[in-house]
Amino acid sequence: MLLPAFEYARPQSVEEALAELGRHRNARVIAGGQTLLNALKLRVAQPDVLVDVSRLEELRAISADADGGLRIGAAVTYDELAGSPLVREHHPVTAAMSARLVDRQVRARGTVGGNVCLADPTSNFPPLLVALGASLSVDGPDGSREVAADAFFLAPYVTAVLPGELLVEVRLPPLAPGERVGYESLQLGTDSWALARASVLVRSNGAIEHARVVLGCGPVPVRQPAMEAALRGAATAESVEAAAELAGEDFEPPTDVHASSEYRRAMGKVMATRAVLAATREDA
Amino acid sequence: MADSAHPITVIVNGETHERTVLARQLLVHLLRDSLALKGTHIGCDSGNCGACTVVCDGRAIKSCMMLAVQADGRSIETVESLSGPLEAPDPLQAAFTRHHALQCGYCTPGMLMAAKTLLAENPRPTQDEVRHAIKGNVCRCTGYVNIVRAIQDAAGTLE
Repeated sequence: MLLPAFEYARPQSVEEALAELGRHRNARVIAGGQTLLNALKLRVAQPDVLVDVSRLEELRAISADADGGLRIGAAVTYDELAGSPLVREHHPVTAAMSARLVDRQVRARGTVGGNVCLADPTSNFPPLLVALGASLSVDGPDGSREVAADAFFLAPYVTAVLPGELLVEVRLPPLAPGERVGYESLQLGTDSWALARASVLVRSNGAIEHARVVLGCGPVPVRQPAMEAALRGAATAESVEAAAELAGEDFEPPTDVHASSEYRRAMGKVMATRAVLAATREDA
Repeated sequence: MADSAHPITVIVNGETHERTVLARQLLVHLLRDSLALKGTHIGCDSGNCGACTVVCDGRAIKSCMMLAVQADGRSIETVESLSGPLEAPDPLQAAFTRHHALQCGYCTPGMLMAAKTLLAENPRPTQDEVRHAIKGNVCRCTGYVNIVRAIQDAAGTLE
Protein backbone atom coordinates (compact mmCIF):
# COMPACT_ATOMS: atom_id res chain seq x y z
CA MET A 1 0.00 0.00 0.00
CA LEU A 2 1.17 3.49 -0.73
CA LEU A 3 2.00 5.34 2.43
CA PRO A 4 1.05 8.99 2.88
CA ALA A 5 3.77 11.43 1.88
CA PHE A 6 6.29 12.36 4.55
CA GLU A 7 9.88 13.40 4.85
CA TYR A 8 12.51 11.14 6.32
CA ALA A 9 15.50 12.09 8.43
CA ARG A 10 18.26 9.85 9.74
CA PRO A 11 20.13 11.86 12.36
CA GLN A 12 23.61 10.76 13.43
CA SER A 13 23.26 11.40 17.16
CA VAL A 14 20.66 11.85 19.89
CA GLU A 15 21.44 15.57 19.79
CA GLU A 16 20.67 15.73 16.07
CA ALA A 17 17.53 13.63 16.59
CA LEU A 18 16.28 16.05 19.25
CA ALA A 19 17.01 18.99 16.93
CA GLU A 20 15.03 17.28 14.18
CA LEU A 21 12.12 16.53 16.54
CA GLY A 22 12.18 20.16 17.71
CA ARG A 23 12.19 21.55 14.19
CA HIS A 24 8.89 19.96 13.13
CA ARG A 25 5.53 20.28 14.86
CA ASN A 26 4.33 16.90 13.61
CA ALA A 27 7.32 14.59 13.70
CA ARG A 28 7.29 10.92 14.70
CA VAL A 29 10.14 8.71 15.78
CA ILE A 30 10.65 5.49 13.83
CA ALA A 31 12.87 2.59 14.86
CA GLY A 32 11.75 -0.90 13.79
CA GLY A 33 8.49 0.43 12.39
CA GLN A 34 6.60 -2.80 13.15
CA THR A 35 3.53 -0.88 14.34
CA LEU A 36 4.13 2.60 12.98
CA LEU A 37 4.16 1.47 9.33
CA ASN A 38 0.72 -0.08 9.79
CA ALA A 39 -0.50 3.11 11.48
CA LEU A 40 0.76 5.03 8.42
CA LYS A 41 -0.94 2.61 6.02
CA LEU A 42 -4.22 3.02 7.91
CA ARG A 43 -3.76 6.83 8.00
CA VAL A 44 -4.05 6.67 11.79
CA ALA A 45 -0.72 8.49 11.92
CA GLN A 46 0.10 11.21 9.37
CA PRO A 47 3.41 12.74 10.42
CA ASP A 48 5.23 15.37 8.37
CA VAL A 49 8.57 13.81 9.21
CA LEU A 50 9.82 10.43 10.35
CA VAL A 51 12.97 10.64 12.43
CA ASP A 52 14.80 7.30 12.16
CA VAL A 53 16.66 6.46 15.38
CA SER A 54 17.19 2.78 14.58
CA ARG A 55 20.93 3.20 13.89
CA LEU A 56 21.90 5.59 16.66
CA GLU A 57 24.86 4.04 18.50
CA GLU A 58 23.69 5.68 21.74
CA LEU A 59 20.41 3.75 21.52
CA ARG A 60 21.87 0.43 20.37
CA ALA A 61 23.87 -0.74 23.38
CA ILE A 62 23.19 -3.06 26.31
CA SER A 63 25.47 -2.60 29.31
CA ALA A 64 25.58 -3.77 32.92
CA ASP A 65 26.36 -1.62 35.94
CA ALA A 66 28.66 -3.00 38.63
CA ASP A 67 25.64 -4.02 40.72
CA GLY A 68 24.11 -6.05 37.85
CA GLY A 69 21.59 -3.41 36.81
CA LEU A 70 21.11 -3.23 33.04
CA ARG A 71 20.98 -0.27 30.70
CA ILE A 72 19.18 -1.17 27.50
CA GLY A 73 19.22 1.25 24.58
CA ALA A 74 15.77 2.12 23.26
CA ALA A 75 16.60 0.87 19.74
CA VAL A 76 17.76 -2.58 20.89
CA THR A 77 15.69 -5.20 19.06
CA TYR A 78 13.82 -8.10 20.67
CA ASP A 79 16.28 -10.50 19.04
CA GLU A 80 19.22 -8.63 20.53
CA LEU A 81 17.63 -8.64 23.99
CA ALA A 82 16.88 -12.36 23.75
CA GLY A 83 20.41 -13.16 22.63
CA SER A 84 22.32 -10.84 24.95
CA PRO A 85 24.53 -12.74 27.44
CA LEU A 86 24.10 -9.83 29.89
CA VAL A 87 20.31 -9.97 29.77
CA ARG A 88 20.28 -13.76 29.96
CA GLU A 89 22.52 -13.63 33.03
CA HIS A 90 20.94 -10.77 34.98
CA HIS A 91 17.32 -10.83 33.77
CA PRO A 92 16.64 -14.29 32.33
CA VAL A 93 12.84 -13.88 32.33
CA THR A 94 13.17 -10.70 30.24
CA ALA A 95 15.41 -12.55 27.77
CA ALA A 96 13.03 -15.52 27.58
CA MET A 97 10.01 -13.29 27.05
CA SER A 98 11.80 -11.38 24.29
CA ALA A 99 12.61 -14.66 22.53
CA ARG A 100 8.88 -15.47 22.31
CA LEU A 101 7.58 -12.14 21.05
CA VAL A 102 5.26 -12.39 18.02
CA ASP A 103 7.46 -14.04 15.36
CA ARG A 104 11.04 -14.06 14.12
CA GLN A 105 10.48 -11.34 11.53
CA VAL A 106 9.07 -8.93 14.11
CA ARG A 107 11.79 -9.83 16.63
CA ALA A 108 14.43 -8.90 14.06
CA ARG A 109 13.04 -5.36 13.67
CA GLY A 110 10.90 -4.46 16.69
CA THR A 111 12.57 -2.56 19.52
CA VAL A 112 12.05 -2.28 23.25
CA GLY A 113 11.69 1.50 22.91
CA GLY A 114 9.03 1.13 20.24
CA ASN A 115 7.16 -1.37 22.39
CA VAL A 116 6.96 0.89 25.44
CA CYS A 117 6.41 4.15 23.54
CA LEU A 118 3.49 2.62 21.66
CA ALA A 119 2.00 1.63 25.04
CA ASP A 120 -0.56 -0.66 23.49
CA PRO A 121 -2.57 -2.24 26.34
CA THR A 122 -1.53 -5.70 25.15
CA SER A 123 2.18 -4.88 24.77
CA ASN A 124 4.60 -7.25 26.48
CA PHE A 125 7.03 -4.90 28.15
CA PRO A 126 4.87 -2.43 30.15
CA PRO A 127 3.70 -4.83 32.93
CA LEU A 128 7.16 -6.41 33.11
CA LEU A 129 8.93 -3.06 33.48
CA VAL A 130 6.54 -1.95 36.23
CA ALA A 131 7.07 -5.24 38.11
CA LEU A 132 10.84 -4.91 37.81
CA GLY A 133 10.79 -1.32 39.09
CA ALA A 134 12.46 -0.20 35.87
CA SER A 135 13.08 3.42 34.97
CA LEU A 136 13.17 5.09 31.58
CA SER A 137 15.59 7.80 30.48
CA VAL A 138 13.96 10.47 28.36
CA ASP A 139 16.01 13.16 26.63
CA GLY A 140 14.53 16.46 25.57
CA PRO A 141 15.52 19.98 24.61
CA ASP A 142 16.02 20.85 28.30
CA GLY A 143 18.13 17.84 29.17
CA SER A 144 17.57 14.35 30.44
CA ARG A 145 15.03 13.06 32.93
CA GLU A 146 14.35 9.73 34.55
CA VAL A 147 10.78 8.39 34.66
CA ALA A 148 9.78 5.43 36.82
CA ALA A 149 7.98 2.72 34.85
CA ASP A 150 4.87 3.05 37.03
CA ALA A 151 4.64 6.75 36.06
CA PHE A 152 5.45 6.19 32.36
CA PHE A 153 2.26 4.56 31.05
CA LEU A 154 -0.51 7.16 31.34
CA ALA A 155 -3.31 5.77 29.16
CA PRO A 156 -3.62 3.51 26.13
CA TYR A 157 -1.06 4.77 23.59
CA VAL A 158 -0.10 7.67 25.86
CA THR A 159 3.20 7.81 27.73
CA ALA A 160 5.18 10.36 29.70
CA VAL A 161 7.30 11.11 26.60
CA LEU A 162 6.31 14.60 25.46
CA PRO A 163 6.45 15.97 21.91
CA GLY A 164 10.05 16.85 21.15
CA GLU A 165 11.40 14.24 23.56
CA LEU A 166 13.07 10.91 22.86
CA LEU A 167 13.20 7.73 24.94
CA VAL A 168 16.88 6.88 25.12
CA GLU A 169 17.32 4.03 27.56
CA VAL A 170 15.48 1.52 29.73
CA ARG A 171 17.13 0.73 33.05
CA LEU A 172 16.44 -2.54 34.82
CA PRO A 173 17.52 -2.57 38.47
CA PRO A 174 19.48 -5.63 39.60
CA LEU A 175 17.64 -8.52 41.21
CA ALA A 176 18.46 -8.69 44.93
CA PRO A 177 19.39 -12.05 46.49
CA GLY A 178 16.25 -14.18 46.76
CA GLU A 179 14.36 -12.07 44.20
CA ARG A 180 12.87 -13.71 41.17
CA VAL A 181 10.60 -12.69 38.33
CA GLY A 182 7.48 -14.31 36.94
CA TYR A 183 5.73 -13.47 33.68
CA GLU A 184 2.61 -15.20 32.41
CA SER A 185 0.23 -14.39 29.57
CA LEU A 186 -3.01 -15.88 28.34
CA GLN A 187 -2.72 -15.68 24.56
CA LEU A 188 -5.07 -16.45 21.69
CA GLY A 189 -2.38 -18.58 20.07
CA THR A 190 1.29 -19.32 20.60
CA ASP A 191 3.27 -16.08 20.97
CA SER A 192 0.17 -14.18 19.94
CA TRP A 193 -2.32 -11.54 21.02
CA ALA A 194 -2.78 -11.51 24.81
CA LEU A 195 -6.04 -11.37 26.74
CA ALA A 196 -4.42 -11.02 30.16
CA ARG A 197 -0.89 -10.77 31.47
CA ALA A 198 0.67 -10.78 34.90
CA SER A 199 4.22 -9.96 35.87
CA VAL A 200 5.62 -10.30 39.36
CA LEU A 201 8.79 -9.68 41.31
CA VAL A 202 8.95 -11.92 44.37
CA ARG A 203 11.48 -12.11 47.19
CA SER A 204 11.15 -15.37 48.96
CA ASN A 205 12.96 -17.44 51.51
CA GLY A 206 10.74 -20.48 51.73
CA ALA A 207 7.87 -18.11 52.43
CA ILE A 208 7.23 -14.94 50.42
CA GLU A 209 8.77 -11.86 52.06
CA HIS A 210 7.85 -9.28 49.49
CA ALA A 211 5.99 -9.25 46.18
CA ARG A 212 5.21 -6.77 43.46
CA VAL A 213 2.32 -7.91 41.25
CA VAL A 214 1.29 -6.15 38.04
CA LEU A 215 -1.59 -6.97 35.72
CA GLY A 216 -1.43 -6.15 32.01
CA CYS A 217 -4.00 -5.84 29.17
CA GLY A 218 -6.06 -3.21 30.97
CA PRO A 219 -5.68 0.42 29.79
CA VAL A 220 -2.36 0.68 31.67
CA PRO A 221 -0.36 -1.83 33.72
CA VAL A 222 -1.61 -1.80 37.34
CA ARG A 223 -0.01 -2.79 40.64
CA GLN A 224 -2.06 -5.07 42.93
CA PRO A 225 -1.42 -3.88 46.50
CA ALA A 226 -4.09 -6.05 48.17
CA MET A 227 -2.74 -9.22 46.61
CA GLU A 228 0.82 -8.13 47.36
CA ALA A 229 -0.01 -7.68 51.05
CA ALA A 230 -1.83 -11.02 51.21
CA LEU A 231 1.16 -12.79 49.66
CA ARG A 232 3.42 -11.88 52.56
CA GLY A 233 4.20 -15.09 54.41
CA ALA A 234 2.61 -17.30 51.76
CA ALA A 235 4.43 -20.62 51.50
CA THR A 236 2.02 -22.87 49.62
CA ALA A 237 0.27 -22.86 46.25
CA GLU A 238 -3.06 -22.68 48.09
CA SER A 239 -2.08 -19.50 49.92
CA VAL A 240 -0.90 -17.93 46.64
CA GLU A 241 -4.24 -18.80 45.02
CA ALA A 242 -6.08 -17.30 47.99
CA ALA A 243 -4.06 -14.09 47.71
CA ALA A 244 -4.79 -13.90 43.97
CA GLU A 245 -8.52 -13.73 44.77
CA LEU A 246 -7.74 -10.14 45.81
CA ALA A 247 -6.22 -9.30 42.42
CA GLY A 248 -8.14 -7.06 40.05
CA GLU A 249 -7.88 -3.66 41.77
CA ASP A 250 -8.12 -0.90 39.14
CA PHE A 251 -7.84 -3.59 36.47
CA GLU A 252 -10.39 -2.70 33.82
CA PRO A 253 -9.67 -4.62 30.65
CA PRO A 254 -11.97 -4.00 27.68
CA THR A 255 -14.68 -6.24 26.29
CA ASP A 256 -14.01 -6.89 22.63
CA VAL A 257 -14.37 -9.54 19.94
CA HIS A 258 -11.84 -11.78 21.69
CA ALA A 259 -13.13 -11.83 25.27
CA SER A 260 -15.35 -10.06 27.78
CA SER A 261 -13.91 -7.78 30.44
CA GLU A 262 -15.21 -10.18 33.10
CA TYR A 263 -13.35 -13.10 31.54
CA ARG A 264 -10.14 -11.11 31.29
CA ARG A 265 -10.45 -10.12 34.95
CA ALA A 266 -10.88 -13.76 35.94
CA MET A 267 -7.90 -14.74 33.83
CA GLY A 268 -5.84 -11.93 35.35
CA LYS A 269 -6.12 -13.71 38.70
CA VAL A 270 -5.07 -16.99 37.13
CA MET A 271 -2.08 -15.38 35.43
CA ALA A 272 -1.11 -13.66 38.70
CA THR A 273 -1.23 -17.00 40.52
CA ARG A 274 0.87 -18.72 37.87
CA ALA A 275 3.40 -15.89 37.72
CA VAL A 276 3.95 -15.99 41.50
CA LEU A 277 4.24 -19.79 41.48
CA ALA A 278 6.71 -19.63 38.58
CA ALA A 279 8.82 -17.10 40.49
CA THR A 280 8.89 -19.24 43.65
CA ARG A 281 9.48 -22.69 42.15
CA GLU A 282 12.54 -24.38 43.62
CA ASP A 283 13.99 -25.24 40.23
CA ALA A 284 13.22 -21.90 38.59
CA MET B 1 3.09 17.38 3.29
CA ALA B 2 6.05 16.69 1.08
CA ASP B 3 7.77 13.56 -0.08
CA SER B 4 11.50 13.44 0.36
CA ALA B 5 13.83 11.46 -1.93
CA HIS B 6 16.94 9.69 -0.73
CA PRO B 7 19.84 8.05 -2.53
CA ILE B 8 20.48 4.56 -1.15
CA THR B 9 22.95 1.77 -1.80
CA VAL B 10 21.60 -1.69 -1.18
CA ILE B 11 23.01 -5.12 -1.93
CA VAL B 12 20.33 -7.46 -3.25
CA ASN B 13 21.24 -11.09 -3.86
CA GLY B 14 24.91 -10.13 -3.95
CA GLU B 15 24.50 -7.32 -6.46
CA THR B 16 24.98 -3.70 -5.42
CA HIS B 17 22.22 -1.32 -6.49
CA GLU B 18 22.20 2.46 -6.25
CA ARG B 19 18.74 3.90 -6.36
CA THR B 20 16.89 6.99 -5.28
CA VAL B 21 13.81 6.11 -3.24
CA LEU B 22 10.95 8.12 -1.83
CA ALA B 23 10.73 8.21 1.95
CA ARG B 24 7.36 6.49 1.78
CA GLN B 25 8.46 3.64 -0.47
CA LEU B 26 8.33 0.19 1.15
CA LEU B 27 11.18 -2.26 0.70
CA VAL B 28 8.85 -4.77 -0.98
CA HIS B 29 8.03 -2.20 -3.68
CA LEU B 30 11.70 -1.48 -4.27
CA LEU B 31 12.30 -5.20 -4.77
CA ARG B 32 9.29 -5.93 -6.95
CA ASP B 33 8.84 -2.71 -8.92
CA SER B 34 12.28 -1.10 -9.16
CA LEU B 35 14.41 -4.26 -9.24
CA ALA B 36 11.79 -6.50 -10.94
CA LEU B 37 12.26 -9.29 -8.39
CA LYS B 38 8.69 -10.57 -8.38
CA GLY B 39 9.39 -13.64 -6.27
CA THR B 40 8.72 -11.68 -3.08
CA HIS B 41 4.95 -11.56 -2.68
CA ILE B 42 2.62 -9.05 -1.09
CA GLY B 43 -0.11 -10.78 0.88
CA CYS B 44 -1.76 -8.91 3.73
CA ASP B 45 0.44 -5.80 3.49
CA SER B 46 0.14 -5.42 7.26
CA GLY B 47 2.89 -7.60 8.69
CA ASN B 48 0.67 -10.57 9.49
CA CYS B 49 1.08 -13.12 6.69
CA GLY B 50 4.83 -13.27 6.02
CA ALA B 51 4.50 -13.69 2.22
CA CYS B 52 6.90 -10.75 1.75
CA THR B 53 9.60 -12.26 3.99
CA VAL B 54 13.16 -11.62 2.81
CA VAL B 55 16.50 -11.87 4.59
CA CYS B 56 18.13 -8.60 5.71
CA ASP B 57 21.70 -8.91 7.01
CA GLY B 58 21.04 -12.55 7.86
CA ARG B 59 17.68 -12.10 9.58
CA ALA B 60 14.21 -12.79 8.24
CA ILE B 61 12.13 -9.61 8.01
CA LYS B 62 8.83 -8.66 6.42
CA SER B 63 9.60 -6.37 3.50
CA CYS B 64 6.16 -4.71 3.67
CA MET B 65 7.10 -3.57 7.19
CA MET B 66 10.36 -1.83 6.35
CA LEU B 67 10.96 1.38 4.43
CA ALA B 68 13.19 1.06 1.38
CA VAL B 69 15.29 3.93 2.73
CA GLN B 70 15.92 1.87 5.88
CA ALA B 71 17.59 -0.79 3.71
CA ASP B 72 20.37 1.68 2.85
CA GLY B 73 23.69 -0.10 3.38
CA ARG B 74 21.99 -3.43 4.10
CA SER B 75 22.31 -6.75 2.32
CA ILE B 76 19.00 -8.27 1.21
CA GLU B 77 18.39 -11.80 -0.01
CA THR B 78 15.17 -12.71 -1.80
CA VAL B 79 13.83 -16.09 -2.90
CA GLU B 80 15.59 -15.53 -6.24
CA SER B 81 18.89 -16.01 -4.38
CA LEU B 82 18.11 -19.67 -3.69
CA SER B 83 18.55 -20.87 -7.29
CA GLY B 84 18.44 -19.48 -10.83
CA PRO B 85 15.87 -20.59 -13.43
CA LEU B 86 18.21 -23.10 -15.07
CA GLU B 87 19.99 -24.21 -11.92
CA ALA B 88 19.30 -27.12 -9.62
CA PRO B 89 16.93 -26.05 -6.84
CA ASP B 90 18.24 -25.23 -3.40
CA PRO B 91 17.94 -28.26 -1.06
CA LEU B 92 15.14 -26.48 0.76
CA GLN B 93 13.26 -25.89 -2.50
CA ALA B 94 13.81 -29.52 -3.52
CA ALA B 95 12.43 -30.69 -0.17
CA PHE B 96 9.34 -28.48 -0.60
CA THR B 97 8.76 -30.14 -4.00
CA ARG B 98 9.26 -33.68 -2.66
CA HIS B 99 6.91 -33.18 0.27
CA HIS B 100 4.20 -31.32 -1.64
CA ALA B 101 4.77 -28.40 0.74
CA LEU B 102 2.96 -25.97 -1.53
CA GLN B 103 -0.31 -25.86 -3.37
CA CYS B 104 -1.04 -22.35 -4.62
CA GLY B 105 2.52 -21.29 -3.88
CA TYR B 106 1.71 -17.78 -2.73
CA CYS B 107 3.27 -18.15 0.72
CA THR B 108 6.21 -20.24 -0.51
CA PRO B 109 8.84 -17.51 -1.07
CA GLY B 110 8.28 -16.22 2.46
CA MET B 111 8.26 -19.73 3.95
CA LEU B 112 11.52 -20.55 2.20
CA MET B 113 13.28 -17.41 3.39
CA ALA B 114 12.06 -17.81 6.99
CA ALA B 115 13.21 -21.44 6.91
CA LYS B 116 16.53 -20.40 5.41
CA THR B 117 17.32 -18.20 8.42
CA LEU B 118 16.21 -20.94 10.82
CA LEU B 119 18.59 -23.46 9.25
CA ALA B 120 21.43 -20.94 9.20
CA GLU B 121 21.20 -20.45 12.97
CA ASN B 122 19.98 -23.94 13.90
CA PRO B 123 20.98 -26.53 11.27
CA ARG B 124 19.16 -29.42 12.98
CA PRO B 125 15.86 -28.06 14.33
CA THR B 126 13.24 -30.16 16.07
CA GLN B 127 9.69 -30.16 14.78
CA ASP B 128 8.74 -27.74 17.55
CA GLU B 129 11.54 -25.37 16.57
CA VAL B 130 10.46 -25.48 12.93
CA ARG B 131 6.88 -24.67 13.89
CA HIS B 132 8.01 -21.70 15.98
CA ALA B 133 10.29 -20.49 13.18
CA ILE B 134 7.45 -20.24 10.63
CA LYS B 135 4.98 -18.79 13.13
CA GLY B 136 5.07 -15.51 11.19
CA ASN B 137 4.20 -17.15 7.88
CA VAL B 138 0.61 -18.00 7.01
CA CYS B 139 -0.33 -20.79 4.58
CA ARG B 140 -4.00 -21.32 3.77
CA CYS B 141 -3.56 -24.43 1.58
CA THR B 142 -1.38 -27.03 3.19
CA GLY B 143 -2.23 -27.05 6.87
CA TYR B 144 1.54 -26.66 7.48
CA VAL B 145 2.23 -30.37 8.02
CA ASN B 146 4.03 -30.85 4.71
CA ILE B 147 5.91 -27.56 5.08
CA VAL B 148 7.23 -28.62 8.47
CA ARG B 149 8.19 -32.03 7.06
CA ALA B 150 9.98 -30.44 4.11
CA ILE B 151 12.03 -28.13 6.32
CA GLN B 152 12.93 -31.02 8.62
CA ASP B 153 13.87 -33.19 5.65
CA ALA B 154 16.15 -30.45 4.29
CA ALA B 155 17.76 -30.33 7.73
CA GLY B 156 18.01 -34.10 8.04
CA THR B 157 15.86 -34.20 11.19
CA LEU B 158 12.76 -35.83 9.67
CA GLU B 159 12.03 -39.09 11.47
